[in-house]
Amino acid sequence: MEVRVHRLCEVRRLGEKDFVLELEGPFPTVRPGAFAMLSLVRDWPCLLPRPFSYFDLREPTGEVREEGPVFGRGSFLVKVVGPGTAALTSAPPGSRVRVTGPLGRGFPAPMGGKEPVCLAGGVGLAPFLLWARERAAAGAGPIPLLYGGRNARALVGREEFEEGLVDWRLATDDGSLGSRGTVLDLYRRLVGEDALDGEAPVLCCGPEPMMAAVAAECRNRDLPCMVSLETVMACGYGVCNGCSVEVRGRDRFEGARYAKACVDGPVFDARELRW
Amino acid sequence: MKDRLRTHLLPGLVLENPLLSASGCFGAGLEGASTGESGILGAIVTKTVTLRPRAGNPPPRIFETSGGLLNSIGLANPGIESFLERDLPGALALGPPVIVNIGGETSGEYAALAERLQDSGAAALEVNLSCPNVQGGSLPFSTDPDACRRVVSELRRATDLPLFVKLSPNTHAVVEVACAAVEGGADGLTLINTLLGMAVDWRRRRPRIGMGVAGYSGPPVKPVALRIVHQVRRAVGVPILGVGGIQSAEDVCEFLVAGASAVQIGTAWFTDPRAGSWILSRLERLLAEEDTSVDDLVDSMGKERRSGRGHGCA
Ligand SMILES: Cc1cc2nc3c(=O)[nH]c(=O)nc-3n(C[C@H](O)[C@H](O)[C@H](O)COP(=O)(O)OP(=O)(O)OC[C@H]3O[C@@H](n4cnc5c(N)ncnc54)[C@H](O)[C@@H]3O)c2cc1C
Ligand SMILES: Cc1cc2nc3c(=O)[nH]c(=O)nc-3n(C[C@H](O)[C@H](O)[C@H](O)COP(=O)(O)O)c2cc1C
Ligand code: FES
Repeated sequence: MEVRVHRLCEVRRLGEKDFVLELEGPFPTVRPGAFAMLSLVRDWPCLLPRPFSYFDLREPTGEVREEGPVFGRGSFLVKVVGPGTAALTSAPPGSRVRVTGPLGRGFPAPMGGKEPVCLAGGVGLAPFLLWARERAAAGAGPIPLLYGGRNARALVGREEFEEGLVDWRLATDDGSLGSRGTVLDLYRRLVGEDALDGEAPVLCCGPEPMMAAVAAECRNRDLPCMVSLETVMACGYGVCNGCSVEVRGRDRFEGARYAKACVDGPVFDARELRW
Repeated sequence: MKDRLRTHLLPGLVLENPLLSASGCFGAGLEGASTGESGILGAIVTKTVTLRPRAGNPPPRIFETSGGLLNSIGLANPGIESFLERDLPGALALGPPVIVNIGGETSGEYAALAERLQDSGAAALEVNLSCPNVQGGSLPFSTDPDACRRVVSELRRATDLPLFVKLSPNTHAVVEVACAAVEGGADGLTLINTLLGMAVDWRRRRPRIGMGVAGYSGPPVKPVALRIVHQVRRAVGVPILGVGGIQSAEDVCEFLVAGASAVQIGTAWFTDPRAGSWILSRLERLLAEEDTSVDDLVDSMGKERRSGRGHGCA
């Protein structure tokens, strides 16, 4: 983990409330699903920084560290929901952004077996660009990614993915793009039609009700399911104990009742969680 | 240059600088070390440890409001045995003196903790008499002078480690409670713990924090903390560790001048994990510019007018 002030290069609008925040590097290689705490150095309307998944890392600088290459550009996919996200996405280019990261445990790299199926809801899309690149580099791909949102306008960000990285399957609540219904409805249908491997592990990131529903489905099917939680955080690096989530007393937590989403997660095996 | 920052807390406890971590805001032991900040601190104060492990309160445990932070962690900690085995050795290896914060529900629990920590390498104990998140903050030690005197005297008999008693601001009798702590044998005081507060989600007709009532910290509590440090300083002679809303080197100087001999940084670690380094380097510059030192600043406000309306202990 580093604390570094980055220059904001550009804020790109993708949709009504969705933006990409482009920051000047250096950024280290991170695991897909890892996150950073962001705040503006000046004119920050909040007390605490806010957590965001790393979305994209580009333009390798040539420097290579233990965990991989260092990048000259880093970006975050931000949906405006309150004062912090509003301030970040309306900051002028050149603003200084404090970034503490990388933090947390991302999605574990698959150890053989079937290629995981990814389910994303809304800005839950964020961790899957780095994931798709990692899988492509490992020779897998395009990876199956089911992406859902309220309507066509909410399904932003697909154009940020290079051609061929992802086998997109879309769902909208109103049917304005892709199939009508939730991502989980779509998943069930595709598995039923044999268009998707119903025995592959599932990775999921999105609103909590969606993840809980997907986790329940996977439990019924006896499938491994990794979810990325959006727990409210204060510090993001393990010192405040504010981000606790109730877990089952499995080995990893030595029987403890709560784990910290920021250091033990944000990605958890859904079977570890009490939902 | 370095001498400017030194602070003489007690004859056997001289700190290289007046910045400490506040309990519960820097981890139980090594968590805060991941930032590299621990090495620069004058002393490390660990998260409250209790005799038995505590899982803590149900989430949500934190909520940002009105420029401050509400928390209801509920003293989640691994218990003294695990702390001694796993957390303390790592904390001691970081360099600065380690002050271990202890919490209990009876004076016997406090004394048992002190005995367990006697030869642990801890430089001092901080006695959390005041957690608002346990029993709804209804424990009397921090609001009733007699209860406070009793628990501190029992601790005094149990250990010869320096005792810093940490008090709650949630009482009209804070000066009386502080005096009682000193009479009971406290070597110093830590002022203040969090203020009781609440946030409400009116649409859902429920509080924002799982437990309802929570502890309020951060910049909004600074004036309350300064006032209490100053009032208590007028009444007692022991060193005070000032804490509450400190975010900058200027804030540190204000606490020193108001009567604190050192300060603790809590919520500011969440704003910026490097807060300690920034504050320390700026403090060093401020002191050089003013050609003064921490020891000179301590309790330097209106000294000449001091006798006037001081409370004094009864
Ligand atoms: C590990 C992690 C990764 C995340 N990744 C992304 C991402 O890639 N893109 C994105 O747009 N959002 C992401 N979020 C959510 C994002 O952190 C919140 O939307 C943001 O903190 C809201 O701040 P605000 O000041 O705009 O709104 P606030 O006024 O703080 O809150 C508005 C709403 O967001 C919820 N919220 C507030 N603080 C947090 C918090 N610290 N964490 C989660 N929810 C919160 C509140 O309960 C409320 O419902 C992530 C959260 C976590 C924990
Ligand atoms: C998340 C959090 C956890 C805390 N845990 C403890 C604790 O375990 N023991 C204790 O004595 N004080 C605890 N405190 C209180 C702080 O040590 C400090 O007294 C208070 O937060 C005021 O300082 P600040 O405004 O700089 O945070 C905690 C505060 C916060 C915000
Ligand atoms: S957010 Fe502070 S411990 Fe997780």
